[in-house]
Amino acid sequence: MTDRLYGMGGVSSGKGKPGRKRYAMAIDLRRCTGCNACTAACKTHFDVPLGEWRIWVMETEVGKYPDTKRYVLPRLCNQCDDPPCIPVCPTQATFKHPDGFVLQRYNRCIGCRACMVACPYNARHLLPDHRRDKRNPRNVADKCDFCVVRVTRGLAPLCVTSCTGGALIFGDINDPESEVARTVRDNKVFTLRPELGTAPQVYYIGLNESVADPEFAFLNRSAQLRERYATFKRNSEVGGEMAGNIDESDMGFFGLVRQGLHNFGTFFAEAPKKFFRGLY
Amino acid sequence: MEGQVIANAFQNAYWGFPIALYFWLVGASAGSFVISTLGWVFGVKKYKPLALFASNTAIVALLIVPVLLIIDAGKPYRFFHLFIFAHWSAPMVWGSFLIMTYPIAMGFYSFFVHKENQLWARRLGILAIVLALSTHWYTGVVMQLNPARLPNHTSVAPLLFLTGAYVSGIGLLILCLWLRNFLVTVTARVSPELMADMARLMLYGIVFDLFLLGNEFLQMTYGTGEERTILYEVLLGVFRWPYLYIEVVWGLLLPLIILVIPRIRRSLNGVLVAAFMTATGVYGMRIWWVMAAQYYQGHF
Repeated sequence: MTDRLYGMGGVSSGKGKPGRKRYAMAIDLRRCTGCNACTAACKTHFDVPLGEWRIWVMETEVGKYPDTKRYVLPRLCNQCDDPPCIPVCPTQATFKHPDGFVLQRYNRCIGCRACMVACPYNARHLLPDHRRDKRNPRNVADKCDFCVVRVTRGLAPLCVTSCTGGALIFGDINDPESEVARTVRDNKVFTLRPELGTAPQVYYIGLNESVADPEFAFLNRSAQLRERYATFKRNSEVGGEMAGNIDESDMGFFGLVRQGLHNFGTFFAEAPKKFFRGLY
Repeated sequence: MEGQVIANAFQNAYWGFPIALYFWLVGASAGSFVISTLGWVFGVKKYKPLALFASNTAIVALLIVPVLLIIDAGKPYRFFHLFIFAHWSAPMVWGSFLIMTYPIAMGFYSFFVHKENQLWARRLGILAIVLALSTHWYTGVVMQLNPARLPNHTSVAPLLFLTGAYVSGIGLLILCLWLRNFLVTVTARVSPELMADMARLMLYGIVFDLFLLGNEFLQMTYGTGEERTILYEVLLGVFRWPYLYIEVVWGLLLPLIILVIPRIRRSLNGVLVAAFMTATGVYGMRIWWVMAAQYYQGHF
């Protein structure tokens, strides 16, 4: 139970495979400057489409002038030990690697998005049809994989390599001498949404409880962010296909009908294309 | 704590209006099929004449479903992965098998009803009614088994779905029977008295649905901060139209008032209005049930 409480647990007990590595990440928020180098490196390398993210930085201003403080919170897939996305995947496209990665098999995924609905961290996204390189996976679910290809070749994930403040620490948490194990052991660490029992493997140092709370994020969007959300949701290509985006500023009866028709319109307009784009 | 989020990623809602329509169609199919079996399985003789039409209505409603689902998937041609890579812990796999077998069982049932073979119609009817209820039960479970989506993560979910299915199915069937009456001979028409009797069955479902909704409302009122925030959004915020006005007022309360007044309940117009309101009102429930949690959490 203790490892479900903010700041009480450290590494969740009894998880990981004996004799295997257990990759984890510690993010020292005291050293994060919010420069978004991690986001840029990741987006560039993986050709992450516009409007989708494998790692992103949430930025929050807490307090009232003149006593304000700005918090940054890099967010990525938490590579949970008990990932809710795995049991709901109908085709076993997503799975937990014995070394701790939660990975995605693109050739099995049917793009049903059950994993995205299940993920409490919004860490998954659907890849659109338009990719810069058409050989890249399209129309399937994607997520951060802790740069598994780099890690298995002895390199650190790109976000860790590119971090300007040295805030991201990556390694095998089963190895007591590794930097990440020492960091997690010697500091008070927090995880996101620990009450869900997902046993996340991304540990934060100096996490503000309010900033890590979905309710805070929902209720305290700045006016500018609300407007940008609405614009994004009206125009998103992937969102248009999924037909569930609504604009909160227009939710009276006629607004609801208009948005319903718009969503159905984009859904059915895209439907024939789905059968002719990248067969199987 | 006071503050504001000034930069964040933008999250899409992953399931939207078409999935809500899919839930509505599966529900209407199941509800319609329940009426079909009343005569041949449960021995209520007055319902026997409309069994075939009700079963066929259920089949037609269900035939649209796979089309919607396959179009909704990112990779439509991979739909067979659901069977060859079936992951048995995923409710979607259970549903795939149910959606495949349920119309087949209904088809055989319709055939034996058409042949007036009581024995086999009853046997197939029992099988199909179990599959019908299971199919719609699974749609509730698909939403229920997402611990992170708070208003959905409740064991009341499948019951709410099934009750909504029952009332919307009967409502849709009443409307279809009324339209059918214009096309068939006088002897083949369904009497207004029988439609009024179906409306009485619908009334029981409406009362039970309101009871379940009341329970859910109580849970959210006494719930965590997140639950109360979502309750505000569905009651007075963004989802007030699908939840409060379309589902509760239009789909349940107004039909309830219509159907508890004996004089209106016995009139064909009253029954038709109540049936239309209930059948369409349930779609409001499907909308907010699918989208509210994603809308709320999509900002985190």
